[in-house]
Amino acid sequence: MAYSDKVIDHYEHPRNVGSLPKEDPNVGTGLVGAPECGDVMKLQVKVNPATGIIDDAKFKTFGCGSAIASSSLATEWLKGKTVDEALAIKNTAIVEELALPPVKIHCSVLAEDAIKAAISDYKKKQEATAGAHAAQKAQPTA
Amino acid sequence: MSSTPTSIIQVCRSCGGGSPVAAHFCQQCTKILTLGRHGDYFAFLGLPRTLTIAPALLEQQFRALSRQFHPDYFYNATPAERRASLERSSYLNDAFRTLKHPVQRIVYLLEIEGVLTPAERGGAVASATVPPDLLEEVFALNEELDEVRALKASGAPDAQWREKLQHAAAPIAAKRDAHARDLAALASAWDAVADRPADAPERRQVLQALRARVLERNYINNLLATIEREGLQVSGEAEA
Repeated sequence: MAYSDKVIDHYEHPRNVGSLPKEDPNVGTGLVGAPECGDVMKLQVKVNPATGIIDDAKFKTFGCGSAIASSSLATEWLKGKTVDEALAIKNTAIVEELALPPVKIHCSVLAEDAIKAAISDYKKKQEATAGAHAAQKAQPTA
Repeated sequence: MSSTPTSIIQVCRSCGGGSPVAAHFCQQCTKILTLGRHGDYFAFLGLPRTLTIAPALLEQQFRALSRQFHPDYFYNATPAERRASLERSSYLNDAFRTLKHPVQRIVYLLEIEGVLTPAERGGAVASATVPPDLLEEVFALNEELDEVRALKASGAPDAQWREKLQHAAAPIAAKRDAHARDLAALASAWDAVADRPADAPERRQVLQALRARVLERNYINNLLATIEREGLQVSGEAEA
């Protein structure tokens, strides 16, 4: 099966490979996997707390070319988006952009899952810290 | 066996007589039955739907049916009978091949019990079904393998990267062994509840546990294959 030029480009020159500090409250981490090929994908977003905009995204994927390209493309798209805009990214858009064949559609699904997992992790952290702040603030007056 | 429907009737195309679904030959006219409505692989081979099958018994059933269906015996029969003998021989081969392999037997059981779809068997399932700690392990192992590759590429002595690879492989080999033990224990657990009604909670529970193990298996096998590609044989039971 031939990969599209775009897949090959992302595979050979992956964008935003690396990792962000997992413990940072403004960083959301998503770790997902597809048992089909033993693929595992880690995708992280760093949200600017003042603007609510994702100003950095990193990924590390172990898997086939399509999985790497899907997550690489996802990190490119994530930068500059708000959290809600990020959640609107659909796997079908990735399929279209990378011209993925039907047997590789699960790779794009994985990337969408990774985005959702990262955002949900970020939101969870925000709620936790907001809760902690609220508790701290509440204490003196109580 | 409660899960094997015996009430379903197959109709003989030669005489129009009815026979139970597990029959291979018409009970009225003794002609070979067209393979229309048929039982699952277990029923077809005349075996209970259990995961422990004595290899000798399976082989014996296979050989006996093989002889009965053999196309050579239908050389002078009607085209319909010749066709039926071919179809039954072919289905018998599929059944034997599947049930002979202990893990394929489990996968097949999960499919006919409706808890595993063919797509899932192939691995196309949502990552939500993969336990998060397994993902963490897979990720960590892949990172270690990257370091091994980097060592190799830098021309490091064999002993050095081999040691690192050994270190990376050890938890996966342990996992594989634990996984095999889990599967064997669950297979026995299934045999104890296989006869219960289809909606019995303990029956569903064993099936769900088996399903989780089968889905993990792709990961473990893939990791072992990756380790072996890097040049380390991870000894263990041979498996097709």
